[in-house]
Amino acid sequence: MADHDAQLAVIGAGPGGYTAAFRAADLGMDVILVDRWDTLGGVCLNVGCIPSKALLHAARVIDDAEAMADHGIFFGKPRIDAVKLRGWKNEVVSKLTGGLTQLTKQRKIHVLHGNARFESANSLRLDSGETIAFEKCIIAAGSESIMLPGLPDDPRIIDSTGALELDSVPKRMLVVGGGIIGLEMACVYSALGTDVSVVELMDQLMPGTDKDLLRPFLKIVKPRYEAIMTSTNVTGMRPTVPGIEVSFEGKNAPEMGVYDRVLVAVGRRANGDQLDADKAGVAVGGRGVISVDKQMRTNVSNIFAIGDLVPGPMLAHKASHEAKVAAEVAAGEKSYFDARAIPSVAYTDPEIAWVGLTESEAKEQGVDYDMTKIPWAASGRALSLGRAEGFTKLLWDKKTERVLGGAIVGPNAGDLIAEIGLAIEMGADATDIGQTVHPHPTLSETVAFAAEAYAGTLTDLYMPKKR
Amino acid sequence: MATTIDIIVPDLGDFDDVEVIEVLVKVGETVEREDGLITLETDKAAMDVPSPENGTVMEFTPIVGDKVSSGDVIGKLTIEVGDTVVITPAIQYVPSGDTTVLAASATADGKAPKIGGVRTLVVPDLGDFDDVEVIEVHVSNGDTINEEDPIVTLETDKAAMDVPAIVAGRIESVLVKVGDKVSQGSSLAIIEAVARAEQTAATVDAPVVEAPPLPAAAMQTPAAMKQQAAPRPSRDLPPVNETGFSRAHASPSVRKLARELGVDLAQVGGSGAKSRILHADVKAFVKAILTGKAAEAAGGGLPKTPSIDFSKFGEIESLPLTRIQKISGPRLQASWINLPHVTQHDLADITDLEARRRELKGPAKERGISLTPLAFIIKAVIAALREFPQLNSSLSDDGTSLVLKKYFHIGFAADTDQGLMVPVIRDADQKDVYELATGLAELSAAARDGKLKTPQLQGASFTISSLGGIGGTAFTPIVNAPEVAILGVSRSSMQPVWNGSGFKPRLMLPLSLSYDHRVVDGAAAVRFTTFLGQKLADVESLLRAIP
Repeated sequence: MADHDAQLAVIGAGPGGYTAAFRAADLGMDVILVDRWDTLGGVCLNVGCIPSKALLHAARVIDDAEAMADHGIFFGKPRIDAVKLRGWKNEVVSKLTGGLTQLTKQRKIHVLHGNARFESANSLRLDSGETIAFEKCIIAAGSESIMLPGLPDDPRIIDSTGALELDSVPKRMLVVGGGIIGLEMACVYSALGTDVSVVELMDQLMPGTDKDLLRPFLKIVKPRYEAIMTSTNVTGMRPTVPGIEVSFEGKNAPEMGVYDRVLVAVGRRANGDQLDADKAGVAVGGRGVISVDKQMRTNVSNIFAIGDLVPGPMLAHKASHEAKVAAEVAAGEKSYFDARAIPSVAYTDPEIAWVGLTESEAKEQGVDYDMTKIPWAASGRALSLGRAEGFTKLLWDKKTERVLGGAIVGPNAGDLIAEIGLAIEMGADATDIGQTVHPHPTLSETVAFAAEAYAGTLTDLYMPKKR
Repeated sequence: MATTIDIIVPDLGDFDDVEVIEVLVKVGETVEREDGLITLETDKAAMDVPSPENGTVMEFTPIVGDKVSSGDVIGKLTIEVGDTVVITPAIQYVPSGDTTVLAASATADGKAPKIGGVRTLVVPDLGDFDDVEVIEVHVSNGDTINEEDPIVTLETDKAAMDVPAIVAGRIESVLVKVGDKVSQGSSLAIIEAVARAEQTAATVDAPVVEAPPLPAAAMQTPAAMKQQAAPRPSRDLPPVNETGFSRAHASPSVRKLARELGVDLAQVGGSGAKSRILHADVKAFVKAILTGKAAEAAGGGLPKTPSIDFSKFGEIESLPLTRIQKISGPRLQASWINLPHVTQHDLADITDLEARRRELKGPAKERGISLTPLAFIIKAVIAALREFPQLNSSLSDDGTSLVLKKYFHIGFAADTDQGLMVPVIRDADQKDVYELATGLAELSAAARDGKLKTPQLQGASFTISSLGGIGGTAFTPIVNAPEVAILGVSRSSMQPVWNGSGFKPRLMLPLSLSYDHRVVDGAAAVRFTTFLGQKLADVESLLRAIP
């Protein structure tokens, strides 16, 4: 007899896991939610999306205040109390995780803590020895930061979790990895006064992103950061008393640098292989990734997998949507993951956001597309924010005139991108978007402008007719 | 004697407050059992509420837009009740696809019926038949019957069959009378089953018992109910083409509905602006499929021939098609539309065959065997099918592979008063010409007398249509799909044949092989007829006894 039994066991209480548990409970299933941590919310709430956004907000306030000096408002140099800032960040986190605990109670979800491993296709064992018998299971065990192999063990070498700890503000920091996570943390520390250097192996930051999206970003950060070293390899790290000595190999890099802090943000790795999934017969692919069908089912029909450990981008909002599909299917509904676009956002300053087809993908896939781009210099709102560096671009299907994808660079791009996501899901075309009345003056107008530009009805800019 | 019963909404599974989207009858209308009365739409599927009995609608309350739930009384039905007929309070709705029996006492709470309790005997799977006439009722109220005892005899378009009781017990009431039309799932009688039948009952009830009695498994009960209650499952919906689905011009909510109904959006035409697929389009698609109008819904409707009032031009008489014509017509049309037909004509020299046949005919007749040319033709066809196995095949449903048949069941078209029938000689390869001739005679007689049994009409792998006894020089038979070829035989005639030095009179038999060009190519077809001609010319090989 198992110590616990449930119709549904959910492994992992991140945005995927708790959403799945909640949805399943709302559909009448009795649910056990297992997490390795004491607080619910997973990486996202505890050491990811949420705390980083709190710090990014702080950074934005500092930068905005400083920027106003050019326009006649002087605040002076900010005094930063890292302890208090950290306290506020932790408060935000605990407010949300506490809310989650409340929600699990309201739904009568049984929460267990510990690392869960499969014993069979119908049972789990926690490291405490407790066993859980389940009819169905949703694996939502997420991912973990990759640490570079062979790094010395030194508290000054940290991952994103360590960076969010904010135990102090270092003088000089190296960010290894120019992806979204690394750049967000670079943004925070730079605003707090740290001299930031970024090193990236590939020839561009945020590899895979359309290059034009990076230009406004680089324009802002290049003067602020000590160095941005692309096509550069970190060949070694040596802890010394003054700092971590890092050696590089690359055409634009020095041979060596000494840093107070080194943040390693070279990517994340799926946790699919941490669960003895083979004992349940679940096939786990390379790098811990578990393959699923459109109903989020693994090769074992009563076991589902969602979130970071299934193929696709490792994003909380992807996980939570997959979670609902998995929970609904587990409860006997005919749900499918049929989303056509998953937005990606770098909450840097300026923010970079994109959704649907990117230009590089379009070229790769040979899609016959058109593109319209509206520089924010044409937006009254962007100018009045003192932020004219951004732009909004949309990609169009030449035949149907429907929007295929879009990207926005600039403050609040992450919020603005949602409209384009909706347009893609609804199959909206240039006229649909252009003839939707957007409030003036807002940054959202730039989306409508880009549509009007394609429809040939734009008056806010002069664009000679192409078609 | 007439009585009035309530029309009750049957068990809808765990749906409540289901919307009426169509009202199919009005007060005063005569309905038959299983006729749709209203169409309901749950969020999962559209379904008809069938009439519980034959009768006349006396009261009928639902209007479009009303919400109904299981157990709601929606009207009254006046029914004719014979002495032996007692109407049960609510005939359990039996979803098609269910097997043979469902207890009338199975309650809406989804509890499995008690073994040995009151049960309704229903019509089992009849194959492709619907609306079959009851020609005999073998039981009456109070009869005690054993398992396997016949309850009624049904006459399908092709054969008569008995419906046996699947449990032993005492007949509480008979629900049908001679002349009633029944279909799979129609209730025949209520029986108080005796415990002896436990085993059978348990087997039959298996799907019902699946709903576990465990209180902990609260979740499974609705799921199991859902499965049972899903009336008329959307069984004919084509599989979803994921790529097409992901490109369909449909919003997320329409996609969700399509997923619930199992609809491939790639096949649904959009009626919204810029061909956007709307909720209504998905529903209409499902409805069309359920009512068999898929082709039209998918936009593949065929142009109609003009409808003309012929009486404008002179006296006319309307003659209903026979039952067999009604069935064979659509099948012939389906084959004619779906299969790319080509017909290969050829002549076979049967001078020697005919001479030999005449020699053997007399002695055979003394043994009571009518040795017809068709028996020899079947022999030759078997040899040719062995040589060209792809003509003894069918295309797989998905059209990606060929199903080669290792058996040789030869159908032959038989002309009857009722219309065209195709009885089948099973394992024709294991019979000699005498046995074939005997089989042909027996089956033809049974066909004429309307006494063919269903198995005698099933399983053909190749068909021969011989009109030679009547006349003709050539024709283009329609393949009896899903077979891939049919051999048409016309009347043989004496013809001058050039043998290299002079014309000789030879008895030539016209052969017309129609084939499915997707499976058989022209070269193979003409090789087949050539081979067949050679075999027919070599009568001794056809007479060789079966090893």
